[in-house]
Amino acid sequence: MTEHVILFAGPMGAGKTTAIESLSEIETIRTEAINTDRETADKDTTTVALDYGEITVGDEDKVRLYGLPGQRRFDFMWTILNERAVGLVLLVNNDAADPIKDLDEFLEEFGELHEKGGIVVCVTRTDVAPIPRIDKYAERVRELMPGRMIPVFTADARNSDQMRTCLMSLIANIEMTAMIAASEERAA
Amino acid sequence: MNDLANLPHVQFSGQQASSPQPLSPHKDPHVIACANEVLSGFADLCRSLHHATILTDDGFEVASLADDVRQNGRVASMASSMQALGDAVAKDLRIGATEYIIIAATTGYVIQMRVPDNSMVLAAHFDAAETVGKALSVARLVATNMRTLISSEAA
Ligand SMILES: Nc1nc2c(ncn2[C@@H]2O[C@H](COP(=O)(O)OP(=O)(O)OP(=O)(O)O)[C@@H](O)[C@H]2O)c(=O)[nH]1
Ligand SMILES: [Mg+2]
Repeated sequence: MTEHVILFAGPMGAGKTTAIESLSEIETIRTEAINTDRETADKDTTTVALDYGEITVGDEDKVRLYGLPGQRRFDFMWTILNERAVGLVLLVNNDAADPIKDLDEFLEEFGELHEKGGIVVCVTRTDVAPIPRIDKYAERVRELMPGRMIPVFTADARNSDQMRTCLMSLIANIEMTAMIAASEERAA
Repeated sequence: MNDLANLPHVQFSGQQASSPQPLSPHKDPHVIACANEVLSGFADLCRSLHHATILTDDGFEVASLADDVRQNGRVASMASSMQALGDAVAKDLRIGATEYIIIAATTGYVIQMRVPDNSMVLAAHFDAAETVGKALSVARLVATNMRTLISSEAA
């Protein structure tokens, strides 16, 4: 049985806490506090340490899901959790002031996770703001991380089927990375 | 590249123009003044106090007893995470509400607790010269004073 640690990162209000709630088979651990920064995201609470959930994939692979706080002043939590992770679900809310810039910032921060396993980009709240279109994100990902296989989806963080599709494509990438690494090791 | 957008979506009628929010504590001059007042009293009560910050639950500094602005911001966000993790553990173990959190280190310790009835936290760093008991009781007094001052002057 393998255990994967997957991070959910992205700006405030992207839907990290919601996505983990949608995916988790256990009661999630949350660290929500009353949100006093309504200008950045108009919602009641915000994550100040982490979210935690678990999901079983296939017969027995346990996937640990960690949600990060979106606000940069909690970046010490990013560092702590980043060390354990093998994959990243990067959530970006399409209704942000400049979502492509958010994509840039978080790929810069967490792009290394591609080499450790994989990254998938998940654009949320496209019902609230229809643009930018998904191809803008895909284009930007190709520019920033050329030659890497990083799928880009649109999904509603509240919808567990849609989130599951994103997660499964990430896990497929992680397993492929692991297989390639193993065969390279054998060849060496 | 995949696109899952063809599933039906609930269309919200735009972002509701939210009703005017009350000023958040770290932007409210009255709350900041109260915090500064209780913190300066804190320094008088306790010589081994190194540093103290009052912060919002979501990690914004309201006032601090030290001048290093960068450090104050850092303390505020870390204390907010600690408080929330403490609450998460207490909830998971079903042991009721968190009263205080202590981090004891080799040359000092940190005590933090909520300002009663407010979504604010007091975080204080003492050197090892103080006994935990004394530091705890002084911190409790300061947190309670903060509550009293806010509610009395707001009334
Ligand atoms: N309309 C709409 N709402 C969505 C969608 N995805 C998520 N949401 C909502 O957007 C909000 C996201 O909030 P959170 O899950 O707290 O966001 P977060 O990324 O955890 O934010 P921080 O912890 O503050 O960084 C929630 O109210 C969700 O219900 C979507 O596709 N469409
Ligand atoms: Mg969150």
